[in-house]
Amino acid sequence: MSRISDTIPLQASSQSDIDEIENLINSSMQSSTSTVLPARPPSPPRIPVSPSPFIQSNLPPPPAQPQHTTLQKPPSAVPSVPLPPLPPSTGNSSGGNIAPTGFGSLPNTLTEPVWDTVKRDLSRIVSNLKLVVFPNPYREDPGKALRDWDLWGPFFFIVFLGLTLSWSASVKKSEVFAVAFALLAAGAVILTLNVLLLGGQIIFFQSLSLLGYCLFPLDIGALICMLKDNVIIKLIVVFVTLAWSSWAAYPFMSSAVNPRRKALALYPVFLMYVSVGFLIIAID
Amino acid sequence: MDPSQAGALAFYILSALFFNSFVIIFVVTVLLAALDFWVVKNVSGRILVGLRWWNEINDLGESVWKFESLDQESLARMNKKDSWLFWWTLYITAVAWIVLGIFSLIRFQADYCLIVGVCLTLSIANIVGFTKCRKDAKKQFQQFASQTIASRVSSTIQSAFSVV
Repeated sequence: MSRISDTIPLQASSQSDIDEIENLINSSMQSSTSTVLPARPPSPPRIPVSPSPFIQSNLPPPPAQPQHTTLQKPPSAVPSVPLPPLPPSTGNSSGGNIAPTGFGSLPNTLTEPVWDTVKRDLSRIVSNLKLVVFPNPYREDPGKALRDWDLWGPFFFIVFLGLTLSWSASVKKSEVFAVAFALLAAGAVILTLNVLLLGGQIIFFQSLSLLGYCLFPLDIGALICMLKDNVIIKLIVVFVTLAWSSWAAYPFMSSAVNPRRKALALYPVFLMYVSVGFLIIAID
Repeated sequence: MDPSQAGALAFYILSALFFNSFVIIFVVTVLLAALDFWVVKNVSGRILVGLRWWNEINDLGESVWKFESLDQESLARMNKKDSWLFWWTLYITAVAWIVLGIFSLIRFQADYCLIVGVCLTLSIANIVGFTKCRKDAKKQFQQFASQTIASRVSSTIQSAFSVV
């Protein structure tokens, strides 16, 4: 090991840094409560665990060789190691926010084209959406379903909803957008705090992400209402999408709190979606 | 790093000249700010200062913040100017958003305050994350150094005894 380190030329700092970072990722993934491992640990069997969404897909898990033969890490070396099932969904969010993003083996994510990163993010959003919103009889314990939370999805849905409402409004477009955005963002934060204060076990960002994803049916409803102006149709569409949103949010919220307090946690969620529904109907 | 942070700020400041619609200003500024957050967090942080932070939810359902940094040898090789630039642009961006926020408060424009609020949250999140990461890296290195010294001392003692 030390011999290899001696031969690292000083100029190739980027490559060796990348190696080190990759080692750090791999070894830190193996220790449960790890924070930072400053030195290069001796190469344990490398399990390509992805901390966050980015890790999946085309990142080659480094084979168990000395770390500095990095130049021979082509993507084709990947398939030999089976990916552990740790992160249930593919892709990673961050962005958002905000989404916490992670890297897998850095050389590839650094040099990969932007389009690949975007595709990975999009696939994560889609998989999260499928987990949360669509009926899925094989869904595992709801509390664990949104492990790979990301805030990009909710961000897009909130902005889309605001844009749709603003578009349908004939006057005061900017106020409508601002109100919709602020209402949804503040509402999600307050609802999460509500659950936490009721003694529930939920993680702040996970619940924010969840409430954002459950807006998806209302997005569809708002889109339909924008295209068709009939009041009766609007009422029906809003009612259906409202029920769908509440149905989607119900298992996560209810599993997070004490059963006696379920109604206390769920009622505000329902109220928020109802108010968004009213906004959709009332816009002309 | 610099272009993306400057882009969001510049767009916000100059947008009043070109766009009448608040909605477009809001959406584009917030999109640029979110993009910039991602770029700083993932790309600039790694390249300029060798730090990375993210959040995970482990099997027990707890949220764990993970930090990661290069080892001391590579950190020493990092360009001082790069890291100085990185930290300063981070702080200056946050200060710039605060100043813009004060302006919009003075003008009683609540909707612009919303934009500034969102962008400020993103910059502060990056600052906090990287600061914690750096502190953690220093702590880890100190621990590692003391461990290495301890193990070396004990192995020296053992070899001394074995010789005897």
